[in-house]
Amino acid sequence: MKFCYFHFMPWTGIAEAGQDWPVRNSQFDPSQATGLYRTYLDHMAYAEECGFDWVGCNEHHFSPYGLMSNPNLIGSALIQRTSTIKIAMLGCLVPLLNPIRVAEEYAMLDVMSGGRLIAGFMRGIPHEYVAYNVPPSESFERMQEASELIRKAWTQPEPFGWEGKHYRFRAVSIWPRPLQQPHPPILMSGSALESARFAAANRAKLGIVRLTDLESVRADIAEYKATARAAGWEPEASDILLGQYVAIAETAAEAKRNLSQGIDYFLNVLNGGIRTAANLVLQDTRYYTARQNVETTAKRVAVLKGMSIEERIEKGLVLCGTPDQVVDQIRRLHRDTGAGVINVTMKVGNIPDEAVHRGMTLFKDHVVNELRDL
Amino acid sequence: MAFTRHALELPQGSVAYHRGGDGPPLLYFHSAGGVRIGAAVETLAMSRTIYMPVVPGFDGTDRLIGVDSYPDLARLAGAFADKLIEGECDVAGHSFGGRLAIWFAAFHPRKVRLLVLECPSGFRPAGAGPLSTDPKIVARQMFAHPERIPPNEKSPEEAARNRAVANHYHKGVDMDRDLVARLGEIATVTLILHGTKDGMIPIESANFLKARIPRSHLVFVYDAAHAIEVDQPERFAALVGDFLERGQAFLVNPGAAGATA
Repeated sequence: MKFCYFHFMPWTGIAEAGQDWPVRNSQFDPSQATGLYRTYLDHMAYAEECGFDWVGCNEHHFSPYGLMSNPNLIGSALIQRTSTIKIAMLGCLVPLLNPIRVAEEYAMLDVMSGGRLIAGFMRGIPHEYVAYNVPPSESFERMQEASELIRKAWTQPEPFGWEGKHYRFRAVSIWPRPLQQPHPPILMSGSALESARFAAANRAKLGIVRLTDLESVRADIAEYKATARAAGWEPEASDILLGQYVAIAETAAEAKRNLSQGIDYFLNVLNGGIRTAANLVLQDTRYYTARQNVETTAKRVAVLKGMSIEERIEKGLVLCGTPDQVVDQIRRLHRDTGAGVINVTMKVGNIPDEAVHRGMTLFKDHVVNELRDL
Repeated sequence: MAFTRHALELPQGSVAYHRGGDGPPLLYFHSAGGVRIGAAVETLAMSRTIYMPVVPGFDGTDRLIGVDSYPDLARLAGAFADKLIEGECDVAGHSFGGRLAIWFAAFHPRKVRLLVLECPSGFRPAGAGPLSTDPKIVARQMFAHPERIPPNEKSPEEAARNRAVANHYHKGVDMDRDLVARLGEIATVTLILHGTKDGMIPIESANFLKARIPRSHLVFVYDAAHAIEVDQPERFAALVGDFLERGQAFLVNPGAAGATA
């Protein structure tokens, strides 16, 4: 079993839930954020010492949900503070960006880190398309074309041009090229069946980070494996990453209290404005090609909002408790899904950073070594 | 843009050809499937006069005595161009015709202004394996979008006859070493096209050419198989049209205002 220490880098300085889009940035205090970035980076670098295999960065825009508008900047900082942990970009929102820029920056990270990059090709969540003024209906098409273009930029031995639907380049020859050959491992989101199929067809790792229930997770994984087999390859457990909110404390009560508070803040405050934009996207565009995915998204939010911590633990949607309890929960999760990588988010909402750090230390001392044999 | 069929008498014999369009001359060599005049060619014909000789033996024509190889065809095409086209012209070719276009450029360098090679054959690496003869597999290798095949596409029988003629000229040679030896001589600015879903010509062939033709540019046409003109006629016409219009300056994005020259 492998573990990825994942961080949203949330802004926790606001108390009121707002529904306006975009979220007004007058509430942001840059001088306070300097310290926040330092704390968050310290925790992400500490993940290596705690036995995490990957450290994960992500990209979000225009809200306190996350302060990593360019995850590659954070990845670059982490490379300087770490030596062995994989730098998992989970990752650049490929349909929103210049694919050649993504190819270049990922190649830089791979070379600078000595080949430690895991390259996430992500679509993002719907509000990002409003932020960057990209038609949400083009999301999947752009994802398909950009993914192929990035791979070409990494692997082509000769300069080349690209005449596509969404992208056109007349001459490409990136410097540097990636260190890992033929290219760094790629991870794609698979929280919907069509995405899981796309990941498998691209021989990418599968990342499922938005969980409603384990039944749909198992369906996504089954679809991923079936598509992979049809394409002539067999995924391993380490190709499947499953997202979990995690709280570990000396007592179960403390862990539950922290996680409950953090999830409330995450859902009610940090998600406020972006939910407004996301609803507009899902109502008015074909962001998801299948209508079913729109309904699934709405259902997930409704279900999660009404669920107690105990229910979340029981359903395998969070890992929460003492180290021993969390070890048992991870064993059960692995048994129930076959996933070989857990994406661990400990800074959920406004959980105090001291509690996060303590949870990481407990993970190091009492959890990770119990699970290496999985 | 209407194309008309003609015949040209040359010392080697009579050569059929199609002509259409208006503008500077473009000499176009067809693929092993024979002449195909689709939307892509018709768009190019809006700004070019296109001369499309029918390689002897294709499309129901007779083979010519003494014309049995690519060098023979290139010499024949030289006589064709000298008689019909005054001065230099642009030259393009698809697959079989791409290989012929390179031979033409090697034999008649002063005749060629710009060269367009659409997934040319003749540079198949040793490890690529043989081409399939299963019609269903061949169809997938040829077309990413079979629904875009124009209604006037040749019948399976005509296509099979054309392939047999192409094999006569190929003579089973996957790697045309005589031509490889001359690639470095091609001084013309050259555009090489390759479909991202091409199942006939491996990507290694495109890179092989790109590495050896000194002033060449390789461009991948996204979501196109071997028949780029059929799968992506708009992309093909826009790219090739821009290249023929601006030459090497096609590398520069002219913006909405367009190029100044």
